[in-house]
Amino acid sequence: MQSLRVNGYDMAYLDIGKGPPLVCVHGSLCDFRNWSPVLGPLTTRHRVISVSLRHFFPDHWNGSGHTYSLAQHIEDVIAFIARLDVGAVDLMGHSRGGHVCFRVAQRRPDLLSKLILAEPGGEIDATLDPDYTHAPWPMAGPISAAADAIAKGDVDGGLEIFLTALQVPWKRLPATTRQLLRDNATTLIGDARDERIPFSKSDAESIKVPTLFIGGANTRGLLPKVLHALAAHVPNSRTEMIAAATHAMFEQAPQTYSRIVLDFLEG
Amino acid sequence: MQTRRVNGYDMAYLALGEGRPLVCVHGTLGDFRTFAAVLGPLSRQHRVIAVSLRHFFPAHWDGTGDDYKIAQHVADVIAFIEQVEPRPVDLMGHSRGGHIAFRIAQARPDLLSKLVLAEPGGELDATLEAPSSVEPASRAARILASVEKIRAGDLDGALKNFYEGIEGEGRWARLPAVAKQQLRDNVFTLLGQVGEDRKPYSRQDAHSIRTPTLFIGGTKTTGSLAVVLRALSAEVPGAQLAMIEAAGHWMFDQAPQAYSKAVIDFLAA
Repeated sequence: MQSLRVNGYDMAYLDIGKGPPLVCVHGSLCDFRNWSPVLGPLTTRHRVISVSLRHFFPDHWNGSGHTYSLAQHIEDVIAFIARLDVGAVDLMGHSRGGHVCFRVAQRRPDLLSKLILAEPGGEIDATLDPDYTHAPWPMAGPISAAADAIAKGDVDGGLEIFLTALQVPWKRLPATTRQLLRDNATTLIGDARDERIPFSKSDAESIKVPTLFIGGANTRGLLPKVLHALAAHVPNSRTEMIAAATHAMFEQAPQTYSRIVLDFLEG
Repeated sequence: MQTRRVNGYDMAYLALGEGRPLVCVHGTLGDFRTFAAVLGPLSRQHRVIAVSLRHFFPAHWDGTGDDYKIAQHVADVIAFIEQVEPRPVDLMGHSRGGHIAFRIAQARPDLLSKLVLAEPGGELDATLEAPSSVEPASRAARILASVEKIRAGDLDGALKNFYEGIEGEGRWARLPAVAKQQLRDNVFTLLGQVGEDRKPYSRQDAHSIRTPTLFIGGTKTTGSLAVVLRALSAEVPGAQLAMIEAAGHWMFDQAPQAYSKAVIDFLAA
């Protein structure tokens, strides 16, 4: 694959199409293949650059070392965009990758033209959530148990623990989806050690880049709550919800998703 | 993407992993993404190089021109492999890509170490086929019907017609949106396929393959693909046959671990 040297790591990426550059950042347990279903429509008008964050496939990471974290991935994406050396880019992130992109936009708005956050992951603090209590994160236990299983070599068992906690039925997922999760399973070992910083109202208000939030109308739980809380406070933002879709909305509705993104980028 | 110049065309490819090169050739309506589900397991042992044939995505082809031919794609992959180091390489092809890989093994065995043919596409001539064992005209008729639909602007109708010709009636509705979109990204290549000039396999063709060969099929695949698989695997000298349980023509999507294991075991032997 093509790669750029960022912060001492060869960061792999897929680069397709001609036009204004759109850098795409996958979420947990995913990699550059995340965006496959929208590559066709998006590359009709954009140069799509789909990265794999540090330690995700095509890396076959063994889970050791302390070089996997949100903070590291934010640094890496900033360095990656700078190394691309094409001026300001559009930036799109899904789930945990949306969190990474949000932080990039906070820190380095000079690198970005527009920002797309597809159900960004993370928590919201008391300034955004009246129900907020400083309680332990409910996923911490399952992620830790999943990481332990994966570190011992029980990859499928670990993934099942993690997904069950998210109310996703591992055994009913398509075989291709399960395999992509397996290819990135060791990153859960990194997630179990990582420190998460919730979004605040002042974080949201500080985003100066024109921003599109995209969600699936049928996604349940914390993700839509975070999306709407951020969207209410990011100054120059709009929100599009895709009917009958959930968190993997670009897989479920690739044509609708692509049209929304293309319209926003050209608007 | 990375590309190599072959016969005047920039052929795109995805390469990842370390080890002996394994060049992978997708089939009808596929592209370099076809093998996405097996990249993880295979790239642990091999340098996996998944190509996109001329006019397939990432090209956005409009169906014009007369260089969408089996012979052109064979020549392109040969020219591609001639630029891969180290050689000889292992070569894997699925469906129509299996046909192309078979023809490369006939024409240029010097380039190949081992050959993997996953339900290779094509027809059998009279030396291989028991009379009326399959209806040879059905595939051509299917493609023509799909081309009519493309020209009428009904892209999804064209894809449904083609897909159900292989996997069975009613199956398109159950295909995940991701798989549908990848086929959609390549729908105009069906226009080229009408005049692609594909020759049937003969017994002599099969006997001429000197490269160690693994055939892979899905136990649920029916029709001419299953017939061709059985005929060729019986006639290619020393060929092995691995059948993937409960899988159809896209067996690497349906059973990525079983498929990868069959390939890795064969290549390591």
